[in-house]
Amino acid sequence: MSPSFDLPPKGGFSFDLCRRNAMLESKGLKAPTFLKTGTTIVGLVFQDGVILGADTRATEGPIVADKNCEKIHYMAPNIYCCGAGTAADTEAVTDMVSSQLQLHRYHTGRESRVVTALTLLKKHLFNYQGHVSAALVLGGVDVTGPHLHTIYPHGSTDTLPFATMGSGSLAAMSVFESKYKEGLGRDEGVQLVVEAISAGIFNDLGSGSNVDVCVITKGHKDYLRNHLLPNPRTYVNPKGFTFPKKTEVLLTKIIPLKEVEVIEGDAMEE
Amino acid sequence: MTKQHANWSPYDNNGGSCVAIAGADYCVIAADTRMSTGYNILTRDYSKISQLADKSVMASSGFQADVKALQKVLSARHLIYQHQHNKQMSCPAMAQLLSNTLYYKRFFPYYAFNVLGGLDNEGKGCVFTYDAVGSYERVGYSSQGSGSTLIMPFLDNQLKSPSPLLLPAKDAVTPLSETEAVDLVKTVFASATERDIYTGDKLEIVILNASGIRREYMDLRRD
Amino acid sequence: MDQKVDLSAPHSMGTTIIGVTYNGGVVLGADSRTSTGVYVANRASDKITQLTDNVYVCRSGSAADSQIVSDYVRYFLHQHTIQLGQPATVKVAANLVRLLSYNNKNFLETGLIVGGWDKYEGGQIFGVPLGGTIVQQPFAIGGSGSSYLYGFFDQAWKEGMTKDEAEALKKAVSLAIARDGASGGVVRTVIINSEGVTRNFYPGDQLPLWHEEMEPHNSLLDILGAPEPMSM
Repeated sequence: MSPSFDLPPKGGFSFDLCRRNAMLESKGLKAPTFLKTGTTIVGLVFQDGVILGADTRATEGPIVADKNCEKIHYMAPNIYCCGAGTAADTEAVTDMVSSQLQLHRYHTGRESRVVTALTLLKKHLFNYQGHVSAALVLGGVDVTGPHLHTIYPHGSTDTLPFATMGSGSLAAMSVFESKYKEGLGRDEGVQLVVEAISAGIFNDLGSGSNVDVCVITKGHKDYLRNHLLPNPRTYVNPKGFTFPKKTEVLLTKIIPLKEVEVIEGDAMEE
Repeated sequence: MTKQHANWSPYDNNGGSCVAIAGADYCVIAADTRMSTGYNILTRDYSKISQLADKSVMASSGFQADVKALQKVLSARHLIYQHQHNKQMSCPAMAQLLSNTLYYKRFFPYYAFNVLGGLDNEGKGCVFTYDAVGSYERVGYSSQGSGSTLIMPFLDNQLKSPSPLLLPAKDAVTPLSETEAVDLVKTVFASATERDIYTGDKLEIVILNASGIRREYMDLRRD
Repeated sequence: MDQKVDLSAPHSMGTTIIGVTYNGGVVLGADSRTSTGVYVANRASDKITQLTDNVYVCRSGSAADSQIVSDYVRYFLHQHTIQLGQPATVKVAANLVRLLSYNNKNFLETGLIVGGWDKYEGGQIFGVPLGGTIVQQPFAIGGSGSSYLYGFFDQAWKEGMTKDEAEALKKAVSLAIARDGASGGVVRTVIINSEGVTRNFYPGDQLPLWHEEMEPHNSLLDILGAPEPMSM
């Protein structure tokens, strides 16, 4: 028998306003634009682990909304995930799965595996049929070794030794395709990742600012936030700027409304 | 084949920002040198500034194919003018010519956003600002292009009198000295480059004054 | 210019996949290209996915859809194998693929070829195309590249081939790669028979060159400086 009282909402998305919004949009209302991370994110497998990389520009249309955002998200102590697409989606989906992984670790008492994160992410993205626009590069080292995966907004996944995503993925991939080789050392790997991200930063307008890098090896990780800052401000006014603190005085005499002569129409009612 | 035709457009937007500032005895015209389409940079070194006459310089953003066509029309008309009058066109005359040329294509416009700067017959700095179909106005300073929404309020803050009600009304030219104006231009472009993805690479500054014309360059962020 | 790189477009495997039976087992073959529009998102994908020890599936169409279907079928087959206490048959595997494809036909865009070996009926190939039909066939081809292969298979496939004769039909994949822009990369094969499973890998630069195909070059200058220029 169904309960005779209303159950409280259990969470998840609210679709209450979808029909209203569709109606408004059909009448010409512009839907709000979202913060997109027109992005370059990359990852590669090296000798003893994986290296992830990202630029730090977030855009809203042609405007740079954040010059130094973080695109390498925490999933588990041994797993990190780069996100491209709608910032809110990449943030939400990685946070959600990261919590599920934490609970799973409490339950099993074992280190999380990369495939577990992969399965949870792809399941969520497939469910929403591409409407949750998150394109991810997932990397980590677990009991079965180093792993690198790409996950597309529609829920398909790839497993590759090197991967790129986002609007700068073509620029970054051209670096990987010409210079990647198996069994890179740590420093060579970081250097290649930096070069790939830089290719995105300088050649793709959706990507810019700084390079973040995350090196994950067995039992250890190094999150190198702002590993490279290749875009300092080019000019600062030597004199700086000063602004007058006071408010400009336009009128000193205040005329009571009652004294204002109304030429046309009704006088304001008391 | 049919699908390709349905999506085809005669226009593109190649981005970029232009600024011009008029002073008592000088005029500064500046633009960045990035040309882009979508998320791609086509070149980092493309001049958006053209000298139309001895004392008129135009900076244009928008669709650079249209801009090039517009520049050719203007220079051809100016050549004819020189043959007929045996002198250079004045900046205010060039301003009217530019307006007429733009309005001539009212129903298939040049996708070009121009600022025209120069010196008038008294040697005072002058700036004319346009829309794509030839509406124009003489102003003390102006900005056009992808970064104009970021630049214009800053110029207003630095150069405009706080209120049009304040007396005495300020002159059409700015109160800055020439070096101060050049510094200001460098600042606004460095700032616009921080936040506008279509502005960057290099800044080209053209300065017109009594002693002639001068060019300066400054590097901008390349990301 | 109109073919913009839209990376948010769904991934699809414009593909060439084949499945061939021979006396004693089956050979499955596939190219390795996954593309989003004109961009090759993965040039070394594995489109021949394991379902059980003795059953594999060739995937074509939407990458996301074919992965989810094969993930579910693998999960169900593992359960089924444990409950039954013996390996699942190819027929059961193919029927599960069909069940998911048919029941969710409005949401899925994937065509699959199931192939495997079991002790009851030996090597078998089942085609499960778009709507969720199931057809047992002596050989099956699928994906965008398959349109170039019908005539070839009508001519080349023979009843009762040996394993080597059957695997030689992998050249069909290289033929399709040569003609179909949406197929490419490497050729992968999986051979399944009573003895087990063999996986083979044929790199793209070692595939046969067909009509008017060119040798690989390191530099365009090699072609430009060639003694005999190509006539237009």
